[in-house]
Amino acid sequence: MTDSYNPSEASHRALRAIQQELERHPMVTTVQGFPDGEFTELRANLAPERRGTDGENATLTVHWFAGETPDARPEFAFHYSDEETDFGWHHHEQEHVDGWGHFQERTGDAGYIHEPHTFHAQNPSQLIWEVTSLFSTPISE
Amino acid sequence: MTDHPPGVEAWKEHTTAFDRVQSVATTVSKPRPVSYIADEAHVAENTARDHLERLVSLNVLLKTEHDDGALYSPDPLHTRLQTLRDLLEEHDRDGLIDLKAEAQSKIEEWETDYNADSPDELRTRAAETDTASQTRDIRKTASDWELALYRLSILEDAIEDYDTYSTDFWAST
Repeated sequence: MTDSYNPSEASHRALRAIQQELERHPMVTTVQGFPDGEFTELRANLAPERRGTDGENATLTVHWFAGETPDARPEFAFHYSDEETDFGWHHHEQEHVDGWGHFQERTGDAGYIHEPHTFHAQNPSQLIWEVTSLFSTPISE
Repeated sequence: MTDHPPGVEAWKEHTTAFDRVQSVATTVSKPRPVSYIADEAHVAENTARDHLERLVSLNVLLKTEHDDGALYSPDPLHTRLQTLRDLLEEHDRDGLIDLKAEAQSKIEEWETDYNADSPDELRTRAAETDTASQTRDIRKTASDWELALYRLSILEDAIEDYDTYSTDFWAST
C-alpha cells in the first residue's frame, strides 16, 4: 500500500469515514459531500437543540487532506458557523501561532483570533468526536 | 473510571467496536498492525483482530503478512466501488454528466487562475509565495484539485459503464 499511496484516495477515504461518523452523531441532522461534483469537503447541518450553541442555521464544514506521503501530517479543518459566529479547529501551516494545530474564532469585525491547540486523536474518525465535544467552549467565553 | 481524551466516551456510546475498528482501519495511510488499530479504536486487541479478519474476508481491507505479524490496510478498490455505488444511487446518467461537467469546469478554472496544469505543478508555486496565507491558499487549492481529479475519474467510470453498472445496481436492490 505504501508503494501505491495515493493522497487523493487516502483523503477521500478519510472524508467518507468522517461522513459516516457525522451520520452517527446526535448533533447532526444531515451531512453530504460538497460540491457534489468535486467532493472536496463535507458539510453537516447541526440540530439547534443538540449542539450546545445558540446560533441559527448552524453548519460544520470539514476539510481533510491526508498528505503527499503516507508519513506526512494530514491537513484538516473542522469549522463551525452560524448566522452570528464562526470558529473551528484547524491543523495546517499558518503564521498566527506556533505549530499546525490551532483554534480560530471570528470576533465581530475584528477578524479571527487564534490559539494553539493540541489534538489528542490521531485518526479522522475519533477527531470528529473530539472536536464536537469542544463545541460549547469557544475561547471568547 | 478511565480518563479518556475528549469525545471518546461519546464515540463509544454511539458506535460499536466493529464500527470503530472499520472506521480506523479504513483511514490509515499505511499498513498497520492489530495493536495500532486496537489502540486507536479503543477496543481490546483480540476484538480488533476478529473484526479486522472479518473486514479482510469482506474485501474491505487488505492483509499482508510480515515477520513480526500481519498488517492491515484499506483496499482502494473497495473505496472506489463504494463511491461508485453512491453516485449510481443518487444520480441518473444525465445527473452524472452534469456532475462531470461541474468538476471539469472547476478544474479548468484552477488551471486558468493559477496558470498550472496539475496539482503538483501548483504545489511548487507554494514555495514562491510572499506570505504564509498565500502558501496556505495554494496548498489548499492543490489538495482540492487532487480530490476533484479523483472524483472525476470515478464519475467518468460511472458514465462510461453506466448501462452495465445500473443494470447490476438495480438488480441488486
